[in-house]
Order: sequence, then structure tokens, then C-alpha cells
Amino acid sequence: MSGPLSEALATYLGRAWGEPVAIEDLARISGGASRETYRFDAVVAGERRPLIVRRDPPGSLIETDRRSEFLALKSFHGQGVAAPEPLILELEGAELERPFFVMARIDGGATASPFAPDPYAPHAARLGEDFFGTLGRIAKADPSSLPIAEVCEAPALDQCWKRELDYWSNVIETDEQHPQPIVRAAIRWLYSHPPPPAQKLSVVHGDYRSGNFLHDGEGRIIAVLDWEMAHLGDPLEDLGWALDPLWRHTEDGRVAGMVMRDEAFRIWEQASGLKVDPAGFVWWELFASVKGQAIWISSAKEYKDGGYREPILCFSGWYTARRQDEILAEHLARLAA
Amino acid sequence: MTPNVRDVLQGVTVALATPPSADHGMAYTMSRVGMVTMLATLAAAESDRAARDAIAENAAIRALFAGAGAFDADGALAAAAKEVDADLSVPALDAANARLRRQLIGLHEKVEAADNAAMNRQIVALYGKMASIRRMALGGG
Repeated sequence: MSGPLSEALATYLGRAWGEPVAIEDLARISGGASRETYRFDAVVAGERRPLIVRRDPPGSLIETDRRSEFLALKSFHGQGVAAPEPLILELEGAELERPFFVMARIDGGATASPFAPDPYAPHAARLGEDFFGTLGRIAKADPSSLPIAEVCEAPALDQCWKRELDYWSNVIETDEQHPQPIVRAAIRWLYSHPPPPAQKLSVVHGDYRSGNFLHDGEGRIIAVLDWEMAHLGDPLEDLGWALDPLWRHTEDGRVAGMVMRDEAFRIWEQASGLKVDPAGFVWWELFASVKGQAIWISSAKEYKDGGYREPILCFSGWYTARRQDEILAEHLARLAA
Repeated sequence: MTPNVRDVLQGVTVALATPPSADHGMAYTMSRVGMVTMLATLAAAESDRAARDAIAENAAIRALFAGAGAFDADGALAAAAKEVDADLSVPALDAANARLRRQLIGLHEKVEAADNAAMNRQIVALYGKMASIRRMALGGG
């Protein structure tokens, strides 16, 4: 059965490529609410091209810039990071009515649900090498030489933290529907205990975590996904986010369901050539939970104000927000001890 | 609290009443149904405990306010500490909770400004208790 999106894609791609295109096997992919993601095959001149289209939704968890996502993929595709190849960026929406981009599809991989108890065993250690090594390589890259620098502002090294904290605390200020004393206490702590300046300016993936990559089931990452929050900033930001207990999976001390914390740092330091400064990292760990809570608060607001369209927004703004409050309270207890 | 059970069930109704798009495919449709089922299960558990949890959190905040004399020049915290939740409907309990949480934010700001480590630890311990009271179990328990 062919739906309206199939027909719109066939028309758009036929125009873009200058020859007739047939769309086959189009299906929506579950997951992130910041873009509507569909897999499909485009058949053109007898050739079958496996593709993904990511389209702006009517409402989403976060306001993100599809141009920076597209250019982030372009920055790292073929550069030692398993970033899928971006192909077409359409900012006006054209036949699809909302902005979108098309990228190559990588088949044969699996993602992990945040609720899976031990999703990577028995290859967790090997995958941890790839996961934190990949993040280290992203951190090591010089952003000024990459396409993403065309659209992302480069903050001063001592202002990376403030720009991010200002942004996410403003999201909470704007979208909070019930007073949130825990995250507000965390925000005040972050403002009153600034971290050291960034060691270097890096591309920050923005949502680098367990579940946002495809792996081959044998310990190798075959695609790093969901670059929609990519920006330039302190490389410790991604590391803090990757280690948030929300994505922990297991209770045995492993981070991201893969390796122990010290091992994660060792792998990242080796790949990036940078150091994990303990004082700075405490800040970025707490910030990760604040950013998470901002996203969940925002999703709760979008769920109500957007007409209750996406169940995932409700789940994020309800269950996940409460779990994040627990994590924030644990951070604050350690800092107050 | 937001979203409340009413919001959640409203969303469940909207989701169930919305026909799947021909573009979605079976896997996405089934995944969405799974998410809606999970929300309905969580809502069932929440409807059992929402009043109890709000009462417990409100009581915990009031107990802290009762010992916050040094930061209560106008007596507002002492007055709040003496209040009782007479209306046990969830909307009324949530409204009281919102008032108490706003006062708690103000109290914590004053405590931080005074650099009072002991009171700060009490407030942070309360945060842990509040988060624990509101914890949700995925199985709906």
C-alpha cells in the first residue's frame, strides 16, 4: 500500500535526480521524537537505493536545526566515525511540506532500548572500546575544518559551559508546568561552580548515548545516529551525557551498559588525546542531568500543548522526568555531603 | 504534577482514535500500540497512588518548613507547615504541592545565600525523598 509520503517522496526525488523514481517498502522507524524517521528504497533506473528520510515533525522534544544535523553527518562521514552519508537537504519542505533530509541507510544493525537490562552482552567490552573510542575521535577533530562550522557558532573556551547552561535552563524556565525544585537547585549549583575552560573546542554530538547507534551484534558500531543536537563546545559535554545513569542498563557499575567508568575514560582519553579533569567532569555530569530534565519538561509541555499526538512525548515527560529527578537528587546529595 | 493521569488518558484516547497512516508500516504501528499500552498501565498505577504520593510529599515539605525558622522572617513557611490537605482530590493536592514547591525553591535559595551547610543537606535529603516518593515502576507497580 502506498501512502501520501511515498508519493511525495517519489515526486521530489524524481525532480531532484532528473529521472523517474519509485518508492518501495517505506515504513516509519520508532524512536526519537525530534524527527519523523522513515526507511525506504528508492528505485531509479533499475537501481535500488536504501535510504532514510528524516522530516521535521509538527511538534518535537526539542527545537533542532536539521541543517546542523545534516552538516554534522557530512563532517564525519568517511572520517573514522560511522556517520551515515547525508545526501539531500531540503529546507523548504517542498512536496513533503516540512523540512527534511535524506541520507543513506545502513542495514543489518541493531539498537538498544533504554530499558533492555544488558543489551550488549557478551560483546559489551568490545563495543565499549568502539563507543568511547568513536566519541574520542569526534572530540579530537578540529571543528574549524569541518562543514558543521558553517552553521555552528564557536564559543570561547571559557564560555562553552555557560552557553549550554543558559540555553537549557531557559528551556526549563519557559516550559515548566509544575514547580521543579530539584532541577532548579542543580542549575544554581552549576552557575555557582563553573567548570574549567574547555581543553579545546570540539564538535559535540549532543545526544551521544547508548541506544543512539547501530551495532553489528559482535561489538562494532556501524552507524552513529541522531546528530540533531550537534553543536560546537566542550568535548566533556558528550562524555557526561553518555555516562548519565539514565542510559546505564545494568546495576553492576558499567556505564552505558558497556564498560566500567575508568575504562571509559581511558578509551576516550586515548582516542581524543585529551584528559578527563575530575573537577570539570563533575560539572558536566550534573549538567547532563539538567539537560535531560529540560528535554523531558519540554516534552511534557509539547504533549499537552501539541494536542496529545505522540505517546513518546508523554512517556518522556512523565516516567523519564521522574527518573531524572532521582538521578539529580543523587548528584546533589553527593555534592552536599 | 504534569502530566497528570487525566492528561495521560486523554493522550491514550487520542492515540487509539487516530487511524494509522499508510506510510507508517506495521512495526511502527505495533511499537506505538506498545507505548500506549505502557502509558495506560502506568496511568492505572498512578491513579491508585497519586493522592497518597502528593499527601506524602506535601507532608515532607511541611515538616522541613516547620524547622526553618531562621529563614522564615515573614512566617510564611511556619504558616504553610501548619496547613493540612483538607481537599483530597488530586487537583487540589497538586495545587497545594505546587505552592509548597515554590516556597521550597525560595527557601533553598535563601539557605544557599546564607551558606548554611546543615540546612542545605536537609533540603537535599528532602529532594531525595521527594524523588523516591514519585518513583514510577515500569511494570506499573
